[in-house]
Amino acid sequence: MVPPSTLSGVLRARDVSLDPDVLEQYSADLSFAHRIRPECVVRPRTADDVQRIVNLARESGTPLVPISSGPPHFRGDTVPSTGGAAIVDLSGMKKIVRVDRKNRVALFEPGVTFGELKAAVEKVGLRLNMPLLPRASKSVAGSLLEREPVTMPKYHWDIADPLGCVEVVFGTGDLFRTGAAAGSGTIEEQWAAGGAQKEAAGPSSASWYRLIQGSQGTMGIVTWVSARCELLPRMEESLFIGSSRPDPLMRAVHWLIRLRLANECLLLNNTSLGLIVSEKGPDGYQRIKESLPPWILFFTLAAYDYFPEQRMAGQTKDMIEVTRRTGVQATRTLGSITAAAFLKTAQSPSSEPYWKLRHKGNCQDIFFLTTFDKLEGLIFGAQQCADAAGYPASELGVYIQPIVQGASCHCEFNLFYDPENRSEAERVRELSVAITKSLIARGAFFSRPYGDMTGMIMNRDGASAAALKKVKAMVDPRNIMNPGKLCF
Amino acid sequence: MALAKGQYAAFEDVLGPENISADPVILYPYSWRSGLYAGVDKFTPRFEAAVLPGSAEEVQAVVRLCNRFGLQFKASSTGWGPYNDASGPGVIKIDLRRMNRIVEINETNMYAVVEPYVVGAQLQAELMKRGLNCNQCGAGTNCSALPIAAHQGIGHMSQSASYGERNQLALEWVTPEGDIIRLGSLGSSDEWFCGDGPGPSLRGLVRGSVVPLGGLGVYTKAATKIYHWPGPPTFPVEGVSPRYAPSRAPVNFSIGFYSFPSMDKLDEAQRKIGESEIALELMGFNAAMASANMATSNEEDVRLFKEFSKYVQGPCFMIIIAGNSADDFRYKMMVLEQILVETGGKAIPKLLDDPRVAAACMWRWLRSSASIREVFRASGCFGGEVGGTDLFRLMADYIFETGKMKGDLIERGLVYDDGISPFTQSFEHGHFGHGELLIRYMPNPTTFMALVGEFLPQANETAVRDHFGVPGHVFGDAAHEIYGPHCSNYHLWLRRIKGAFDPKGASEGSHYITVKDEQ
Amino acid sequence: MALEEYRQDMETCCRCSACKFIPFENVKGFANVNVCPSIGRYNFHAYSGGGRLGLGVAMLDKEIGLSEKLLEVVYNCQMCGACDVSCKYAMDMEVLEPINEMRIECVEQGRTLPVFEKIMASLRKKGVTPVAGGSRGDWLDGLHVRDCTKEKVDVIYHVGCRTRLDRGMWNVARATLSLIQNTGVSVGIAGARETCCGGRAYEIGYKADFLTQAKKNMATIRASGAKTLVTGCAECYHAFKVLYDRFGLKQGLEVLHSTEYLARSIGEGTLKPRKKVDLSVTYHDPCHLGRLGEPYVHWHGKQIPGHIRLFNPPKEFRRGTFGVYEPPRTVLRAVPGLSLTEMDRIKEYAWCCGAGGGVRESNQELASWTARERVREAEATGAEAIVSACPGCEKSLKEAVRGRKSRLKVYDVVELVERAIS
Repeated sequence: MVPPSTLSGVLRARDVSLDPDVLEQYSADLSFAHRIRPECVVRPRTADDVQRIVNLARESGTPLVPISSGPPHFRGDTVPSTGGAAIVDLSGMKKIVRVDRKNRVALFEPGVTFGELKAAVEKVGLRLNMPLLPRASKSVAGSLLEREPVTMPKYHWDIADPLGCVEVVFGTGDLFRTGAAAGSGTIEEQWAAGGAQKEAAGPSSASWYRLIQGSQGTMGIVTWVSARCELLPRMEESLFIGSSRPDPLMRAVHWLIRLRLANECLLLNNTSLGLIVSEKGPDGYQRIKESLPPWILFFTLAAYDYFPEQRMAGQTKDMIEVTRRTGVQATRTLGSITAAAFLKTAQSPSSEPYWKLRHKGNCQDIFFLTTFDKLEGLIFGAQQCADAAGYPASELGVYIQPIVQGASCHCEFNLFYDPENRSEAERVRELSVAITKSLIARGAFFSRPYGDMTGMIMNRDGASAAALKKVKAMVDPRNIMNPGKLCF
Repeated sequence: MALAKGQYAAFEDVLGPENISADPVILYPYSWRSGLYAGVDKFTPRFEAAVLPGSAEEVQAVVRLCNRFGLQFKASSTGWGPYNDASGPGVIKIDLRRMNRIVEINETNMYAVVEPYVVGAQLQAELMKRGLNCNQCGAGTNCSALPIAAHQGIGHMSQSASYGERNQLALEWVTPEGDIIRLGSLGSSDEWFCGDGPGPSLRGLVRGSVVPLGGLGVYTKAATKIYHWPGPPTFPVEGVSPRYAPSRAPVNFSIGFYSFPSMDKLDEAQRKIGESEIALELMGFNAAMASANMATSNEEDVRLFKEFSKYVQGPCFMIIIAGNSADDFRYKMMVLEQILVETGGKAIPKLLDDPRVAAACMWRWLRSSASIREVFRASGCFGGEVGGTDLFRLMADYIFETGKMKGDLIERGLVYDDGISPFTQSFEHGHFGHGELLIRYMPNPTTFMALVGEFLPQANETAVRDHFGVPGHVFGDAAHEIYGPHCSNYHLWLRRIKGAFDPKGASEGSHYITVKDEQ
Repeated sequence: MALEEYRQDMETCCRCSACKFIPFENVKGFANVNVCPSIGRYNFHAYSGGGRLGLGVAMLDKEIGLSEKLLEVVYNCQMCGACDVSCKYAMDMEVLEPINEMRIECVEQGRTLPVFEKIMASLRKKGVTPVAGGSRGDWLDGLHVRDCTKEKVDVIYHVGCRTRLDRGMWNVARATLSLIQNTGVSVGIAGARETCCGGRAYEIGYKADFLTQAKKNMATIRASGAKTLVTGCAECYHAFKVLYDRFGLKQGLEVLHSTEYLARSIGEGTLKPRKKVDLSVTYHDPCHLGRLGEPYVHWHGKQIPGHIRLFNPPKEFRRGTFGVYEPPRTVLRAVPGLSLTEMDRIKEYAWCCGAGGGVRESNQELASWTARERVREAEATGAEAIVSACPGCEKSLKEAVRGRKSRLKVYDVVELVERAIS
């Protein structure tokens, strides 16, 4: 462990905390991760700070746990897995370095939240391809690095999108910039030449950003990222389609994405949609939920600068043809919710309190990737598991997000529970393991493993795990970067 | 060096006698120089043997034998470029010709799975029957459909159908040590739809904007994203070689070829077209490429180039519009017309006036069947400059700069004079771009030395000095050592990848990187 | 030309592999895209058109000698010309000619396959290229026809070795002759004095023997006064029309394939197929009638120095564009009741029957493999029969049909026309 005085010497005293109350906040999160107290919290402000911290940690063998979002945290990846760790809290690095309308890209530090970045890019007519209702304190960089699914599959060409380039300090202490940002030249020199640190691949024959994304801070500490942006539409028309089952909706989804008709395109069950739109406590939520069909597809048609009315008219006509062909019907209102109002909600971070916490105070998420045709079977299986464990399936939140322009979908179950109720919490914990195991057995792919099941998920692909360990050995030979996560 | 008898027998045990040969008669044709940057030597140095595995397991066995015997291997699919060559003594050539299956076409989930020797035309034709399509490698539909086979894998349809680095989903990879790693969902749940995870994505190892060119093992199957195709299940091609033409262009399809008063105006147009999301293809072909594509002989090429050049006001692009419906098509055409008015784009007269000629061009550029004409017919060889992937304007500016150097070579009579106009392209609706400078020349030592001794070094100097990123032509130790120190020392990390995954250097890395002492 | 004169062509090969596939614009699916039987069977690049060009350069530069393996690669090729057509879709270079020239080089240096030596010995002695399992006898079987070696005729019907010596083809010969006679022209045959066209000899590298045969044949033709020669054998057709012309021996002779003659006669109304033939067929284009049957283009000149292959005078490359594709189809469509469904690989990019280039004689396995591929492709059309216009193709396909236990029938175009003539 690096002595605090040393840390204060390389940073600033106020950026190093040993306060037990502060340390306690970082000992746990809202997941079932074991509580382990860090030794200190450091708050770097620059990449130089980060590099110094990493070098010190490397020399002393001090585990580092990088965090970029503000609390609460949910996945366990920001809780130390081992004693003697230092939390590297980057949430104070809040510079939006550049917003480039011409090249549709923004470059920003890890502490920038969705609300902050959204406001900045909208000033120049851009928007982010966002995840669904991130919490207010969620770091955009953190979300991108976690490979969170985004709500506009049309603009999700690759699972890594919209992440562009990354500046990272590896566990070796080396500063590295990925993609176009690697060089030649400084960032400013690249701008002067017309560059914008947007191309993510490379440099040359490796795509380093992919090795950093999804690593839960085990490869290095990211000091800025760039993200590809899309245009703010001139016109938008949002619609719902309701159904008693996901399958008919997924058929419509396939064509809406395939024909590039829809921008936002996602499915929620009535539980999740009801919770999202209800801000008025359990009764309000129940009323809304009961007014909705079990499954709801939400999507948006959009038109941009050129002849937007004609564009919208044409897309609407084509959309109607899709719904006709797939035997469903789109509507502007479902129950007591208007699609237009939901669009505003969906295009922003969650209002406070965070929507997942409103119902019972906490939520355990189970999420995985699968294909359109397997989805309904997997959902049914999870629901059966829940019912069997005494957790009413009707209380499960379900969110389905088509991704990668329709190549697969993210499926997420939300198990809401009262964290103060220990038996309920334990039941949810056991149920979460049971559902996960059942899903794995049925072919669900847990591409982003967290928590209790990480070991099992990583063990299923021993060859990949072995390869990842080689990568880890390259970039973090002393295993100081968030040890104990994934397979490290 | 020749394979020891026991070594040959070991390979034979794995593959069968008909699938291995060390006979010079079999090896020499592989050694015949590639037309890409044809140099002084007609044949690459003799290598040990050529093998024809039929499965990933056979590839694995071959790779393990190479590790055991201290040999190297170089795998290739259709084997066009010089990076496919087994570089000399001690190297086994792995010809993946027998691995030629389309494993799966999954329409619901918009991906296809192929083995390395499925060529682009095969996959595209099967997809078209189902109302689907795929990006075709720009070098040609004669190349592998594997999204990680081609040097870069950018193609004519990348505007709407991206390219290899982005289209690749799950991958089956025989590592240089002979392990089989199945990336993403393939390794965890035996499905092809995702190439990433669990955790970090190993796709980051296996390629970047360019692929490792045979230096990091063998890719034996891959899934690639596929896209909607609003056209007919087969193109109604008529005629006899070399003049094929569809009887008509499909309904709701259009092709145009426009020149612009300046690169600024072309850039503005491509930007607007990208933001409007109207183009199926947007390719910055110059007049030389258009004439070479359309002509069926060099004589005709020369004549057409002279004619087209008269009408070209500046840099050009070709655009194909395809509507998913009549309304969609009308809208897209309306937007294109407006953008052309705004940016001064003018159609090149006579080029596409004849509907049959236009339809033929459209099909050739959809199928990418005539890239060979564009670059190789003149002399059987071409060189030039392959830029990287980055912002369109940045890449165009780079190629424009290197074009000046080409001008010098033209003046000195060292290369074919087809002008110095850049070849650029836009992909993912203008989010990115790419540029190339095509230099055609009759192979001779003077030109070759000028290209490798002057032109490429100058191109490298320009890229580094003026911050144009790492171009696609950068491969091999020497080139990486030029760029690496200016680009986050990426070459050192690449070496670490090589060292970690290929400790014995079995995967012949002359076009990737080799392990060296970092001191 | 000697092999050295093709050096520039061979060195123009850029390794694109187009020679292995049908012209890509015609690819309609995964299957049936290969066009080269040799590499299709043996897979190593050496067995492709481009591979052989590389070998040619290696031979010229003395990098390799004329080993057993070289002969095996050189001769495991049906000389079908598909690689030449596919390459020339994009490129200005010769492919088939240098490949043929490599064989000539081998023979001139005394390196060849023993089976070919036997064939040539028979040719020199008897004036016929022997047919494996061939039959002796008189195909005329009572038909009366002028002897063109004894009297003047307008048209010579050249039967060809593979028809004369194959009892299975005699009905085709008789039908062809009858159909020609029915058009009212003065036609004759050379009968027992007919001598081999020499085409096969040329293709397996025996250029001198070919020239001997060619001169003999032209002497006979000259003496007969005939201005037109009709043959039902694609290889003979190619020999008379293309090879003889190439070596300045054709002397204005009009050379027609039987299908061209029939198509013309149907067009002129001198032949009227009226009877219904209820049959669904698919047509196999013989290589030597189709892509190789286009007229020879004489050119003498030089390549202009520079960075692009231009010639003075401009050189017109034969690309298979003007092969004989339509006349057989026109004839088939004229037969009432016949329905024609095309295979995937047709016309200038047709898959070979397997028999050409000496392969049938030297490597029955490759010949059979190739033919079985073709039969498989024909079966996929759903047709009841495969029709062709060459005795070599028909024999090869019949054997493959038997080998695959296929339900397909195999016919010559002439047989179906005969059925349709009342």
